[in-house]
Amino acid sequence: MCIIRLIQFWTCENRETIMEKNNWPPGDLVIWFFILAELLVFGVFFAAYAFTRANNVELFNEYQLHLDRNAALINTVALITSSYFVVRAVAAIRDDNSKGCFHWLLAALFMGVVFLVVKGMEYHHHFSLGINLSTNTFYMFYLSLTFFHFLHVILGMIILLAVALKARSGGYSAAEHTGVETGASYWHMVDLVWMILFPLVYVMR
Amino acid sequence: MKYESQKVAKLYFVAAIGLFVGQILFGLVMGLQYIVGDFLFPEIPFNVARMVHTNLLIVWLLFGFMGAAYYLVPEEAETELFAPWLAKLMFWIFLAAGAATILGYLLVPYATLAELTMNDLLPTMGREFLEQPTITKLGIVVVALAFLFNIGMTILKGRKTVVNLVLLMGLTGLAVFFLFSFYNPVNVVMDKYYWWWVVHLWVEGVWELILGSILAFILIKTTGVDREVIEKWLYIIVAMTLITGIIGTGHHYYWIGTPAFWQWWGSIFSAMEPIPFFMMTVYAFNMVNKRRRNHPNKAAVLWALGTAVMAFLGAGVWGFLHTLAPVNYYTHGTQITAAHGHMAFYGAYVMIVLAMISYSMPMMRGREACNSARAQSMEMWSFWLMTISIIFITLFLTGAGILQVYLQRFSDNPMPFMVVQEKITLFYWLREIAGLVFLLGLVLYIASFFVGKNEPEATVELAK
Amino acid sequence: MAQAFTKAMARNIFYVGTLFFFLLFLALTFQTHSTLPDRDNRQAINDTVALGKKVWEQNDCIGCHTLLGEGAYFAPELGNVYKRFGSTDAIKAFIASRPKDGIPGRRSMPQFNLSDEELTAVAEFLKYVSGIKTNNWPPSPQG
Repeated sequence: MCIIRLIQFWTCENRETIMEKNNWPPGDLVIWFFILAELLVFGVFFAAYAFTRANNVELFNEYQLHLDRNAALINTVALITSSYFVVRAVAAIRDDNSKGCFHWLLAALFMGVVFLVVKGMEYHHHFSLGINLSTNTFYMFYLSLTFFHFLHVILGMIILLAVALKARSGGYSAAEHTGVETGASYWHMVDLVWMILFPLVYVMR
Repeated sequence: MKYESQKVAKLYFVAAIGLFVGQILFGLVMGLQYIVGDFLFPEIPFNVARMVHTNLLIVWLLFGFMGAAYYLVPEEAETELFAPWLAKLMFWIFLAAGAATILGYLLVPYATLAELTMNDLLPTMGREFLEQPTITKLGIVVVALAFLFNIGMTILKGRKTVVNLVLLMGLTGLAVFFLFSFYNPVNVVMDKYYWWWVVHLWVEGVWELILGSILAFILIKTTGVDREVIEKWLYIIVAMTLITGIIGTGHHYYWIGTPAFWQWWGSIFSAMEPIPFFMMTVYAFNMVNKRRRNHPNKAAVLWALGTAVMAFLGAGVWGFLHTLAPVNYYTHGTQITAAHGHMAFYGAYVMIVLAMISYSMPMMRGREACNSARAQSMEMWSFWLMTISIIFITLFLTGAGILQVYLQRFSDNPMPFMVVQEKITLFYWLREIAGLVFLLGLVLYIASFFVGKNEPEATVELAK
Repeated sequence: MAQAFTKAMARNIFYVGTLFFFLLFLALTFQTHSTLPDRDNRQAINDTVALGKKVWEQNDCIGCHTLLGEGAYFAPELGNVYKRFGSTDAIKAFIASRPKDGIPGRRSMPQFNLSDEELTAVAEFLKYVSGIKTNNWPPSPQG
């Protein structure tokens, strides 16, 4: 339904006036379309996970213990921190501080790298044990969900990097920084998905 | 029409319509064989009729796509076609190869054809939709390369519009993925896995880029809406198509020996494949509603809107009906699949080619913008006859499929295939009748090219 | 809002999105390949099976039958025909006994005049296919 509303909104005549009046949504409208689409996919994946888990509680509980919860916790902190840095970056550009914006984005990117390294070590551990998508239903979901999210982190970092480079060369200003808000929105979405994924896959018993 | 070389499209469109007639006739033969099992047996067994039916469809759609490209690329690029002579030469080569292949299917047993064309050297024959002799497949590659070269050079020397770029990407993808038809290992699972890289990545991938760009061209021309707006939509629609459609290939990997994780990946992504079709419908109607001018070619606008709606129904809705793995477990390989296939191909690809023909043919035949009111009215009659009969064909096949699934797979005492087929004969009769109405529509469609030739062109007022 | 939504943005989503999902598709393909040896019954493939697949293809069997649900819907599913018929001999006998002029008013398989070697090969091919792990498809032995 959200999508239909969005299409209606997107195609309605006085869209621009409405948006200018409310300054909503932040960033580029079309990125919100994709954020909704992405959340839809993840939502369906999560629902499928919950549904399947309900039918295989013992299997899921058993193999959940094999996951490295500390690593996941580190990653949760890394993503929350990076989201905070991104917020600071947006605040900086609103003050017309391109340099500050660039530096905050670099910091956010660094936390993204931390996430990738920690997650990569987890994957290395699984793969060295010969675990793959066909090992069992739990690992099918665990690997599918986290790997799909992993790729989104990479994509989000590419977007942040592009925004950061443009910020460094003075491409944004307090008056015009849609690009920063767009990248920030996408990155918060990636973060948000992990905030659901972490308790669902690693913690919930 | 702005450029003389666009006229080469006319050849392609005439051939396309001719082969379309052949496709429908063989469809009717097969439909009757479903009811009267020994009809034309053993002269034209079902598998031969089916090869002719499906191969003609593919070939005439390719003719249609190529014709559309030859018409719209020069106009978009604002330059003459790079080599009109090459386009004409390739037309005759492709037509000859196509005709020879179809005659080969009809005149000699398939095994003899395989032997004559030395299939053993590089066996690629005998797989669904890829039944063409290896030599024909090589010919298709040559024609495709020459065609891409011609189109690519034209785009390179002219204006680079989004419509042209998306079309070129679609056509290039078509040629690239066709190469997987040469990979045919003994291992059936590997064979099937990569067979879908041709079939799925064509019809649910790169062909949709072609569909999208042709539709965008027609909408730009007939509505006068700002090109920027239409091109933005085009990008978003083809983006959603590939984002959902590439992983959506997984909906073919449920039961062919591939691992079970595809049931999740395939279900989730293919369930979203209707989204780009839905967007296409919204966008087509939006553009027509926001039109800045009334184009006198009402028939072309009707086809363009029709393709947006029917592609959503056929590919989107009917595809979604059986794409989720738990449903597909029961419906895989039944008349449900056939129902979906018929409406999706008609809605997405037949109609877009007919829309392009409808838009461009009057100008290539010397008209200013469109045909006479009488010709257009007849064409629109044919639109409704063909479209409504394909809806009924789809409904009847869906009915047949639901019964088939129940009797053969779902009930407590599953019945053998042939017993079930006899029980659902009524639906096959109804489908055949709907097929005859379709043929009537097609006859009217062709007749519309010959009526009202001496009457003046329809004007906007008349068209209203 | 300076610009609501630019064409460049749409273009970037198209290129990046397509690349992203194609790479993901390749990763899943790689994953699929690593699991196939346990699923696709490749240890049963030999020269006879290879000949059988050739006979299967060169007579366009897929033009009437389905194999693992793919093909035409005019004649029965053959992915599990070995299990349904119970032996390769039964399959051979069925193919060999098709009447040349068909059965009046009914569907009939053509008489392909296969040699005994070809009959054996195609039956062995169907036996090999019946050993592929298909996630328990078809739902009923009737196919």
